[in-house]
Parts: sequence; structure tokens; C-alpha cells
Amino acid sequence: MLRLPVFGSKSPTSIEELVMAIAEPGARIVAGGTDLLPNLKHKLHAPTTLVSLDRVAELQRITWDREAGLLRIGAGVTLTQLAEDAEVSKNFSSLSKAAGLVASPLIRNMATIGGNVNLDTRCRYVNQSEFWRSAIGGCLKSEGDVCHVVPKGRSCVAAMSSDCVPVLISLGAHLVQVGPEGRREVAMADYYHSDGIAHTHCQPGEFTAEICVPIAKTPARAAYGKWTVRKSIDFPLISVAMHFALDRDAADATITEARICLGVLAARPKLLKVDALVGLRLNDPTTAELVGELCFKQGKPLDNVPYEAEYRRKMLRVFASRALRDLLA
Amino acid sequence: MAGDFTKERGGRIEGEEVQAWQIGKAHRKIDAVDRMRGLLRYTDDLKLPGMLHCKIVRSPYAHAKILSIDSASVLAMPGVHGVVTGKDFPTPYGVIPWTPDENALAVDKALHVGDGVAAIAAIDEDTANAAARALKIEWEVLPAHFDPAESLASADQINPYSRTGNLSKKVMLEFGEVENQLASSSCVIEGDYFFEGSTHGAIEPHCAVANVEPNGVLTVWSATQVSHYLHRELAKVLDLPGNRIRVIQPPLGGAFGGKSEPFDLEFCVAKLALQTGRPVKCLYTREEVFYSHRGRHPMQMHYRTGFDKDGKILAVDAKTLIDGGAYSSFGLVTTYYSGQLLCAPYAFGSYRFDSKRVVTNKPACGPKRGHGSVQPRFAIECQLDKGAAALGIDPIELRRRNFIGHDTKTINEFQIGSNGFMECLERVEASSQWKERYGKMSYGRGLGVAGSTYISGTNYCIYPNDMPQAAVQVSLDRSGRARVFSGANDIGQGSSTMLAVIVSEELGLELADIRVVSADSDLCPVDLGAYSSRITLMVGNACVQAASRLRKQVVAHVASKWQIPAKRVNLVRGQAVDIENPETCMSLAEAFALAEAEDGMLSAVGNYNTPRDRHGEYRGGTIGASPAYSFTAHVAEVDVDVDTGVVQVIKVWVAHDCGRALSPKIVEGQMEGSVYMGFGEALMEQHVVDYNKGGVHTGPSLLDYRMPTFLDTPDIESLIVEEADDQGPYGAKEAGEGPLHPIIPAISNAIFDAVGVRMDKTPFSPPRVLAAIEARRAQEASGELAPHKAALREERR
Amino acid sequence: MSLIERLAPQEVGFPLPWARPARNKVRMSDALLLSMKVNGEEVEVAAPAHFTLLEVLRYKLDLIGSKQGCDKGDCGACTVQLDGVARLSCLTLAVQANGREVRTVEGMTGAHLHPLQDCMDKSVAAQCGFCTPGILMAAEAFLTKMGRVVTRGEVAEAMASNLCRCTGYTKIVDAIVDASAIMAEGKN
Repeated sequence: MLRLPVFGSKSPTSIEELVMAIAEPGARIVAGGTDLLPNLKHKLHAPTTLVSLDRVAELQRITWDREAGLLRIGAGVTLTQLAEDAEVSKNFSSLSKAAGLVASPLIRNMATIGGNVNLDTRCRYVNQSEFWRSAIGGCLKSEGDVCHVVPKGRSCVAAMSSDCVPVLISLGAHLVQVGPEGRREVAMADYYHSDGIAHTHCQPGEFTAEICVPIAKTPARAAYGKWTVRKSIDFPLISVAMHFALDRDAADATITEARICLGVLAARPKLLKVDALVGLRLNDPTTAELVGELCFKQGKPLDNVPYEAEYRRKMLRVFASRALRDLLA
Repeated sequence: MAGDFTKERGGRIEGEEVQAWQIGKAHRKIDAVDRMRGLLRYTDDLKLPGMLHCKIVRSPYAHAKILSIDSASVLAMPGVHGVVTGKDFPTPYGVIPWTPDENALAVDKALHVGDGVAAIAAIDEDTANAAARALKIEWEVLPAHFDPAESLASADQINPYSRTGNLSKKVMLEFGEVENQLASSSCVIEGDYFFEGSTHGAIEPHCAVANVEPNGVLTVWSATQVSHYLHRELAKVLDLPGNRIRVIQPPLGGAFGGKSEPFDLEFCVAKLALQTGRPVKCLYTREEVFYSHRGRHPMQMHYRTGFDKDGKILAVDAKTLIDGGAYSSFGLVTTYYSGQLLCAPYAFGSYRFDSKRVVTNKPACGPKRGHGSVQPRFAIECQLDKGAAALGIDPIELRRRNFIGHDTKTINEFQIGSNGFMECLERVEASSQWKERYGKMSYGRGLGVAGSTYISGTNYCIYPNDMPQAAVQVSLDRSGRARVFSGANDIGQGSSTMLAVIVSEELGLELADIRVVSADSDLCPVDLGAYSSRITLMVGNACVQAASRLRKQVVAHVASKWQIPAKRVNLVRGQAVDIENPETCMSLAEAFALAEAEDGMLSAVGNYNTPRDRHGEYRGGTIGASPAYSFTAHVAEVDVDVDTGVVQVIKVWVAHDCGRALSPKIVEGQMEGSVYMGFGEALMEQHVVDYNKGGVHTGPSLLDYRMPTFLDTPDIESLIVEEADDQGPYGAKEAGEGPLHPIIPAISNAIFDAVGVRMDKTPFSPPRVLAAIEARRAQEASGELAPHKAALREERR
Repeated sequence: MSLIERLAPQEVGFPLPWARPARNKVRMSDALLLSMKVNGEEVEVAAPAHFTLLEVLRYKLDLIGSKQGCDKGDCGACTVQLDGVARLSCLTLAVQANGREVRTVEGMTGAHLHPLQDCMDKSVAAQCGFCTPGILMAAEAFLTKMGRVVTRGEVAEAMASNLCRCTGYTKIVDAIVDASAIMAEGKN
């Protein structure tokens, strides 16, 4: 069997203890473990201590902060809890949907939203056993110095494969990061960068404590679409999240602001330029077509995950248009 | 005459009433509850005192010479107790005795990524893994060949034991005058097909444990489906007499052909146990399961099929290139099967096949459920569908017109007995409402049909001998209980339950009073194993013989006590009863005690060997010949998303002629499991290596090798057809492999009905289906083709 | 079936043929003392931090009902319940179960077979049975949560983490639907 590397463990019960624990050199946080443990079994990291946040009760709450106009989701909330929360589903259907589509039911019972927003990037050449990687001489993200996806590429293009991240970005969410320096807020749109080796701006000793989603002040609609080969277990091979602020709450309302975010392209989720949508009617058939066209034009999948990039690019168009149409149904 | 073990088959007393009280009933499996309670110990659940853990070091190169292995420094590591390499196993072996071309570990060179090179035994897995990582091996990397055509053309010989370069096996057989018949056909369909490799994916990874008893007997517990062949090969490779080796197959977590020959781990644990004097266990990682493979061979097939104007098949010409991977495995048989198993359920006017199996630097292919014949079945059933379309004949009707019949000979001289194929066609036609719906559903929706046949065991024994192919021993005792000793491997298909059902039927015992002891070479008679769908027919016949001998013995004593003719005594529902006077009865315990008092211990054996007159009289004419053939027909209903190419299989109707269904629920389970497995191959599974990355497997995990989940699997409606066969126990034939064959062409044909494109290459992945739809659209736009289902397009969105 | 399948290893009574002692003392990584309630019983077990719950259940506590199929959460054969929630024990650190309640397939059967086991048996829904313990654990948690008769579609959604290679799932779905009726009735 595939064994975990040797490490120690800590199980803090408060945020303070957690901060202290992960300040130790070689410490690494484990939440649901559904992403980290396979990576550890693959010997992609070698932490000296795993710090589990499963006993920090403060991180496991969903709260509606009406004063600040925010939905605050504790990083330790599981994807099942999030997907099944009736209030979240009523107000943030795209987030609820994305959380409920992650991998498989058992993975969602374990995986947390904090883990999902910090999900390590994925690539067909890196999420393999140590033996397998040794057969291709490793890559930029593992033991080697080449990229197998982009020949001669100098930066890692492993794919951001979280379902929830594009949705949260499209909803304008921000993160509360806690570390030895205290807490800071960072917009999710700014949290990711294009280096697949370390694709977030999470500082050393810092962890994500909360995900905050602004409660829309104006009428709005949001949608999420993804393609996987199987209907369960698989990571997304394309994903698209969209959010439209509207002049009124109706299917034929006019779009006043739009945000579309694509996942699974490279390390960074891609927020598209969609100014052309403002002023269009949501249910105008040409709107759905334009949404598809924008995704196709600006989204350029790579061969970093299975199934041909060219096909996946075409599917961006189809799945984006459909996500919008489903929104109206 | 040697080998004639069939004389007493049936074994009923003349004139006796046959009143089935178990055959054909819904049974619970005799061992299912223990499995469900987590009590049965599978191989990895065994733990012996002082047990060491073994890790196999594997080649990261597809083709490389081993210059040196520094075993000594690893052996010096704390906790490491043994290291073996290819030099410890100089004797080559192979499950087919004519092609011994593997060593337990690579001796001079590794032939594929994942080929075993050394094995380490240490006090625990972590220590073994650390030692495996530290083992220094010097390599000289050699050019590798992944493409079979290229490999065939190359002068570099991959497998050092090959006698014909990289050609592993070639078979060319012709029956009738193919070219003449093609010339006189009114319609000739020519097509190229490619069937991608796929693997078994049993949920239990391979595992083996070895221990040397103080008396010197080497015991090997292994997750194998062929304990007997493992026993033979262990003796050969370890150079030990067979009587010093005991092989036990613990309960098995699925096999499907993937555990039907010896693997490196079994030899390694055995050798390391002999070397260290301690028990040794080796459990594969899931990744290693992919390297051990022996799955479905990729096949490139070129077919020409000639029809007369009424759709009768005048000629079939098949040319097949088989990608074998690095070792022969069952390849000799695979190469024959790729042609020999195609000649029913349709009569061919003439037939020729030319199959070549080629060695490549990939994990070796072997037998996967429907060994060798699933791929050509895909080709021929698509050919028939194309022929039907070209001739304007309904595809089911075309198949009917070519029905070969029962009690007949195929063109390659195999004797067919019972044949329920016509009923299979009728059942799927009616259940799917074919007549009302085929060709008439909206654009994007379609139905497809396909048929097939399969063997119930093979007349060809893997090693030639005159001994029985199957044997069973049954003992009774005064407590009213039966013990059944059988070498048969229950791999989840329910063979132990089948044996209990037969003994129950013959002796009137409740299932709970029957203990089946199986697949332990010290306790059980030899059986060849769970492959070729042989167990129900072969072991079942042997079991009927043994049990009916005991039945006669017991009945005789009861009859004499009651002073009535033996034919008046029935053993049923736990009792011996006088049929004419049911008040006269005694419990079976009493009846057995009566017989035991007269005759001593009650025990009987039964044997089975195949009849010797049901195959072709030509070289290779026994390979693929079977005592009895099953028949299957499928209709699949699909919904094709024309914008994405995603194919959703909505429902599959599967009708299977399994002869007499001894236990219908278990038969249905085999049918459903077959459909499921073929469905995965049709749409998503692919076992491939990356040609551009040194031949690494593209995804050796259950994440990247996509096996369908609960949500993906279509509704399956099982329709059992029972055309009893004289050769089978109570008329039973096989059910474990036949029902897989038609699903792949049925889906391809349904896609044609839905959107007018032919999918001739598996898997029918969304990119491929979409590309085909787009190509057709272009042809429609240019006027080259009429729009498919033009009148039925409105209904869709 | 051989004798050994029925017996726990300590009962096998093999003489020890390996009289020679280990050549070197080997230091195991530091073990932690964990206490958890397993199938209703308090147990204490020592295991290093890098052991998964599955490894501790199988190799330390000899609860071999939970199976290891894929190594990393892709097959569901190792499914157990932790504080009533079904999860993959191959991706759960043993320390995460410290102080908690673990339920494995071995805990399902009291005086009688659990309705799920009985329905699975009746439907012949276990062929090789290797995925079955995981299926039972996931299904039990699902039916307990639902507390009513479930549909085939709901079963497929809820069970989509668990692979079965033998059955094509059909009979498993039959069994879970049947069991949901029995369990719902038992509750009322």
C-alpha cells in the first residue's frame, strides 16, 4: 500500500494554539486531508508536523454578518455542510451547487471550504507517485527542472482545480488570513497568482480562517458549470462561474455588472473581461451566445489535465452558455 | 479410454422423478454474510507471527539493461532481512507452457515501466519502502517500442525469450473461399476498427503471503483465480517438488481475468520466506496493479464482410494486429480467440482471419472478461449494422436471417448444441420496443443492437494431459451434513454457492448444511481455475456426478430399510421420503447414519473432462472449442449530446441464454456486472502508456483510470433465456463473460441511430464523438450526405 | 474455504519457525497513544502520527472489515463512520479519530443482521464482497440521515463515492431501497 511519510502531529483547539503550531518550521496545516494526504502519499511534500484544524470549533461555523453585509464561512466548514445549508443555497445557489459538485459525497463529508480554496494545483505529470515521477525525471513542481505541458516553459502551469474558487471570485468574496502578524483580508481575485508551484499569496505561518461572501445589495443571479467525465469522483476538466448584478429581479432584467471566472486553465483562476455584457438583457439569446464566445476567446486550456485542450476549450463555450440558460430555467 | 469421465453424467436413477427443489430458485450466497460482516479474511487480512513485508522495486524505464544492483548495501540496512533479484529466479515461466518468457524478476533487462527488478523483505512496510528507495541500480537505457506496427518492423528484440523477434504469435486460418465469396457479394462492407486496451480494476489489489512450515512445506496464500497454475509455476521456478508446496486462495476481492496467472509477488514472497525463514507478505499498491495488468489487448482490426442482397453473410475477412505488451501471458490463446470465437451466432458462408500478436514495451496484456473475443465482436457487430443500413434491412432482422441454429457446426467446425439466440433477440426487441422506436426517436436519441456467443470452458487444457479438467469430492456424515471439496476458485462469481446448490439438489440438504472447502491445494482435488467461464459447466458436472453417486448410495439403504424400490425414495427438504407414502420419512441425518453404518464413511468423487469430438480437425481446432456455448443479445438506448459529444446510455436490455439458470439471481448479477464492465470500456476506460514520456502509464490510479460510478451506470434490464444444453449440469451454460460482448457494439450502433455517425474506435469519448458529429455536419452542409433524421430534429430543444 | 480464513491470527497457533532474532534493533517512529470508541467499545491504541485510521483499524486493531482498494480516496472500500459521518479512512489520520467514535462494518451486526446486510444478502448484492463493507457504511449513514424510504436516484447520488466492479450496482441499489423501507418502518 501507499504509505504516508513519517511526520508528527498537533491538534490545537483554538485559533491561538493553531497560530503557534503552524509557526513551527516544517509545520503544515491539514483540514479534510482529501487533497493533502494523497499528495503526501505521493511524497510531494515532507512536512515535519501536520497541524490539524479539525478541533478548532471557531472555524466550523457559518454566520450571517448582516452588519457587515457578509456571509462568513469558517474555513473548517465541510463542503457537505456548505452544500446542504438551506440559507446558503437560497442566497448563493452557485456556491451551494459548486460545493455539492466537488469530487464525491464522502470527499465532501471530509473536505473543508478552507482546504478547497487552498487546493493545490494539479497536473497529470505531478499528481502521481514518486516512482512514476522518477520515470519522467520529475518536473518544475516536483523533482525536475522541465515542464512537460509547455516544452521549454519556465513556470509551472499546473491547474487550479477547485470548484468553489471560481464561484467565490465571481461572487466577489474575500479571505480572512490569520498568522503570526495577526489577521488580514485579501480579495480572492487577488489571492492567486500564476505560479503553479505556489499559486496562492498565503504567507508563511499563515492560514485561511474565514471565507467572506458579500451579500448582494441589488438583484443578482449566479451560475456554475463544469465538465467531468464521470458524474462523481473526478476533478473538473473545465469550470466556469458567473455572476450578474441586475437592474431588477427578473429573467429579462438588464445586466448592470458581470463577473465570469474560469478554473482549470493554469495555476490562476481567470477573471474574464466581460464589459460587453453590461447593458444586455439576461434572457436575450444573444447574451448566452456572447457569454460562450467570451469564455472561448479568453479561456485557453492546456494539456495539464486529461482530455484534449482543444476540446475543452470548445466546451467552455457550450458549458458557459448552458450555465446561463439553466439560470433562466 | 483415458480421459472419459463423462459416462455417469446426470446420475439419476432410471424412472426417478426429477423434482427440482433448489435448481432455478433464488438463493442467498453461502458466504455472503461473512463477507458483509467483515469477518472473512482476504489475503491482506492475514497476519502471521513475525511476518515481514515485501516491496518490489520496479523499472522506471520501458526498456533498459540492468548493469548492476547493489543488494548488499540495502541488506545491511536495519530492519531489512532479505533482497532478491532476477538472478534468484533464473527459470523462466509462462502460464502457457509453450511460451515461458517471463522471469519472476527481470534478469538482464526490464521490458516495461513497472517491470519488477528486485524485492526486499523488511520488518514493516515503511522500512521496506525506504530500502526500495535506497536500492541502487545501474541501468543502460535501450530504445523502446510502443507502437505494435513499429515494433514488428524493428530489428531490436524486446523479449529475450522470443523465438520470432517481436512477433509473439501469428494465426491464419481460412474456411471456405473468402475472395470468391466477396467477389460474388452484392454488398461488401469494409471497415477499420480499433479497440483500446482496458484493465480489470478488481477492487482488491493483488496480495500474497508465504510461510515455510516447520515440516518444510511452503504455503502461499494468494489472491489468485488459478491456484493450480500458480502451484505448478511455483514448483518450476523455485525448483521445489509440487508436494512441498501448498497454495491457498483466500476469499478473493474480484479478478475478471486479472489474477489468472502467476505474478512477481507470489514468487518473491515465496523465495523470501524460504530465504529468511519468516512469513512474508506483499501487497500491491494500486499503481502496481496497473503494471501487472494482463488486461484487454488493444487490437487494430480490418474487416471486410460480404452480404448477398437479402443480408446473408457470404464472407468475413478479418485482419488483426494485437498489441501484446512485453510478455506472452495467454497470448497464444488470445491470438486464436481473436478469430476462432467469431463463428456464431451467425452462419458465415466463408471466413478467414489473420491475427498477429506483437511484443511491445508495455505492461503485458492478457485475459480480461471475454478474453480475446470482445474486440472482434465489436468489429463484426458494427459491420453487420453497416450492412443492414446499406441493404435497408432492420438490424435485428438481418441478424435473424443469419442465425446459425442449434445442434450444428460452425464454419470453423465447432459443434454447437443448444442455442437460444433467437429468443434473446426476441426478448430484447420486445422489451426495448424496438419496432416502435428504432430509427424513429428524435435526433440525438437512438437504439442499437448486437449479439454474441461465448464458451462454457474450453476443450483445450493449458497443459496437455489425460487427467480430468475438474474433480469434486463430496463427503456426508451422520450429523446430516455435506462437505464439498473443490479446487475451484470462487472469485465472487458464486462458484462455491453453485456447488452447494447442486449438492443440495441431489441430496436434499438445506444450503446451510453444506460446507464448501475450496481452492486449497492440500485439501482439495485439482481444478484448473476460474477462467474461460468453465466452472459451472465443468466443476458443476463433476459435482453432480459425486453427489448423485452418494444419492444412489443413501437411497439404496433407505429403500432397503423401508423395503420399497429405490425409485420411490426421494431426498428433499432435509428428509428422505417415500414418494408414494409421504408419511414414511426420516431425517437426512438418520438416512446418512443408516448408510454410514452399512458402508462406512460416505464419500464420493466426481470427475469431468471435455468431450473429444466437438472441435475442428485442424491445427488449433481445439482452441476456443467448448462443450457448450452461451448466447447473448443487447439493445442499448443512448442520448447523444450533439454539442458536447457526451453519450449517455439510458438503458440496456440484455438477454442471455445461459442454459438452465441454476441460480437466477446470481446469473442476473453476472449479466449486470458484464454490461457495466463493457459499458465502461465503451465510454471512458483506457489503459494506455504515454509514448512521448518513456512509456509511463497515463494514469495508474482509480482517479485517472475512470471506472463508472453509481451515477454513471445505465439502467440494466436482465432477461434470462434458458435453452438447456445436454453438456451442462442440469443444462447449465456460462453467464460470467458472454453478456459483456455485445454492449460495446450495441452502444456504437445506437450512436449511429441517434446522430448518424459511426464510432469505430473505443472509447467513444466526448471529443471523438463530437469530432464525428462535426465531420458529418460538414458533409451534410456540402450536400455529400443527407441530414440525419432531418424530420426528427425539431423535437430536440 | 480454508481454516485460516475463519481464525484470527493469534488463534492460528503457528509454531515460530524463525528462531533467529532480528539482526538490528529498529526504532519505530514515535507512537502516540490514541483512545477512541470503536463500535461502542473504548479502545486505546498506540500508533505513529503518520498512520491512517484505516491502517490502525486493520493492522493494529485487527478490524479487517474495512478494506484498502486504491490507497487514496478513489474507491470507497475503506469507508467508516466517524461521529456518525461516513468518511474515507484511508484519508483520515488516526489521530483525527482520537477521542471520537468510530463505527466500522464489524459494528453493524448485533443479535441480528442489520436490515441493510439482510437486504444486500437477499438481493445477492455482494459478489466478491470487497467493496461491500464500505458500501454498507456509506449506505447506513445515508439511510440514517434520510430516515425515510429513498428513491433509486437518491441512492445513486449518495453512493457515488463507492466503486463496485462486480455488480453493475443494480442489485446494491435494490437492496438499499428495500432496506430504507424496513428501517423507516422500524423507526415509526
